[in-house]
Amino acid sequence: MTPVPRAVVEVRDLRRTYRTSTGVFRRRSVEIEAVRGVSFEIGEGELFGLLGPNGAGKTTTIKMLITLLIPTSGTARVLGLDVVKDSREVRKRIGYVFGGERGLYERLSALDNLRYFAELYAVPPREQKPRIEALLELVGLKGREKERVEGYSRGMRQRLHIARGILHDPPVVFLDEPTIGVDPVGARELRATIASLAEAGKTVLLTTHYMFEADSLCDRIAVINKGEIVAEGTPRDLKSIVADKTVVEIETFGIAEETIEKLRNAPGVASISIEERDQAQVLLVQSAKGLELTQTLLAMLEGTTVGRVAAREPTLEDAYVALVDTAA
Amino acid sequence: MTGARIFFVGGLMSYRALFGWLSPWIFIPTFLVAPIFQILLFVYIGRSAGVESDKFYVIGNALQYCAIPCIFAMSNTIAGERYQKTLGYILATPAGRLPLFLGRSLPVIGNGVFASAFALSAGGAIVGIHVPASSIASIALVIVVTSASCTSLGLVSAALGLRVRETATLNNIVFGLLLVFCGVNVPLSELPGWMSFIAQGFPLTHGIEAARRLANGQSFGSVGGLIGAEALIGAAYALLGYQLLRLLEWQGRRLATLETA
Repeated sequence: MTPVPRAVVEVRDLRRTYRTSTGVFRRRSVEIEAVRGVSFEIGEGELFGLLGPNGAGKTTTIKMLITLLIPTSGTARVLGLDVVKDSREVRKRIGYVFGGERGLYERLSALDNLRYFAELYAVPPREQKPRIEALLELVGLKGREKERVEGYSRGMRQRLHIARGILHDPPVVFLDEPTIGVDPVGARELRATIASLAEAGKTVLLTTHYMFEADSLCDRIAVINKGEIVAEGTPRDLKSIVADKTVVEIETFGIAEETIEKLRNAPGVASISIEERDQAQVLLVQSAKGLELTQTLLAMLEGTTVGRVAAREPTLEDAYVALVDTAA
Repeated sequence: MTGARIFFVGGLMSYRALFGWLSPWIFIPTFLVAPIFQILLFVYIGRSAGVESDKFYVIGNALQYCAIPCIFAMSNTIAGERYQKTLGYILATPAGRLPLFLGRSLPVIGNGVFASAFALSAGGAIVGIHVPASSIASIALVIVVTSASCTSLGLVSAALGLRVRETATLNNIVFGLLLVFCGVNVPLSELPGWMSFIAQGFPLTHGIEAARRLANGQSFGSVGGLIGAEALIGAAYALLGYQLLRLLEWQGRRLATLETA
């Protein structure tokens, strides 16, 4: 674990187990370990990324940190306060934003949504108006604030979520996939807003699926998979995991599962991931640097329609794929 | 100051947030027209059976109708948050739970008072009952107290909404129980002993009796005990509802059921 200056968020061996039931007459209880002994620290003013595939335990971890879930075991402290014992004090000092369209009062205007939460966060009445105006300006909703939220686009809702999350000027902010489903221009604006939070000295925990987002925003990153942290470090540290690799991108159309399996087992192939892009499936093949695999791979793809082929240097996303694949 | 603002300002805003769908097209048929139908139905049944007076049915049904907004709307203050996926957001704020949830009861009580008062006035005018002018203010107070005690029962249902989704179904059953047990259309003395015994623990029972006596010309002082009993029962349900809220919120955090149960 990389040492951090004055830890604002301290997580130690955090675990969370869910119990779910299946069946109607013969009910069977199933225990799911969503988070399995996670530990990390976030320093003051740091923008920390928590990356992982769906179901990896990111949201469960955040829900424990924002006091909505009680850990099964382990401890979590925010600004030295225990998230279970001092939950009310923790709530005063944190803001949080969950991705998605829900979670706002649809029949109220953005202004009234913010006014209501300003009351709940005990923002002094005299400060409410200027603060709400400044936030509406910051998230680009000025001029639309009196419209009902039900008419807002996804991007506008996300920006309103962010404004609500920092309404009470919390020193620590948790952002759970804040740009998910937002169009590229809107997502870029949101990233600029997130960056401005860090510039304002706030400590931010960000979860995202978008590697370029994590790469450009985060000071440090932890990769979580199946409830465990499999790597932690700066984006550069993580990229170094695949520094000795090269990546070949092969665009295919209608590739069969068996062909992918054959490629996966081909000599020299470290890992393969697939990206769906419109009609195409883009294979991202990692192999040792210096190993010329392109011709071999293309030979194995005989009978499959192949489009663009390119070799490139590995990115953070490749490091992420390698980490998640290794842990699988 | 913060608690007071959450209670008054927050309570009103949350009512707007959760009941913005309550347009006049829904409000008028539900809270103003439907109780008149209920009153007329029981008045005509009563007339044909020749049992109780029109006044008995008008007052019983008008007061009982406050249970619709009071129980259903109060219950929806949690169920509605769950539906809009805002429950997690409000529970993760530092707002004290007492002003946060009790503040939501004020507009609900106002709604109940309006529904009952309208039903009593309009229903009474349609069937032609006479209430002494000197009793009107006292009856108005009884309506307020009865609406408050029904809202407290709604708070219990709201709290259960932290654990189960089916509170609307539960509320239908509660509404039926109040209709049958509380002497709305059948005097308590005519009900089996165990039913009139249980009715003593329900909201409405004492309020309806107090309103009937006032409408028959008895003094406010003579029904003070009934009004006090109605208020006490309301306070007991409010306390139970608040404790349930705290318990089930904690349990929801422990069992991860706040957003999924």
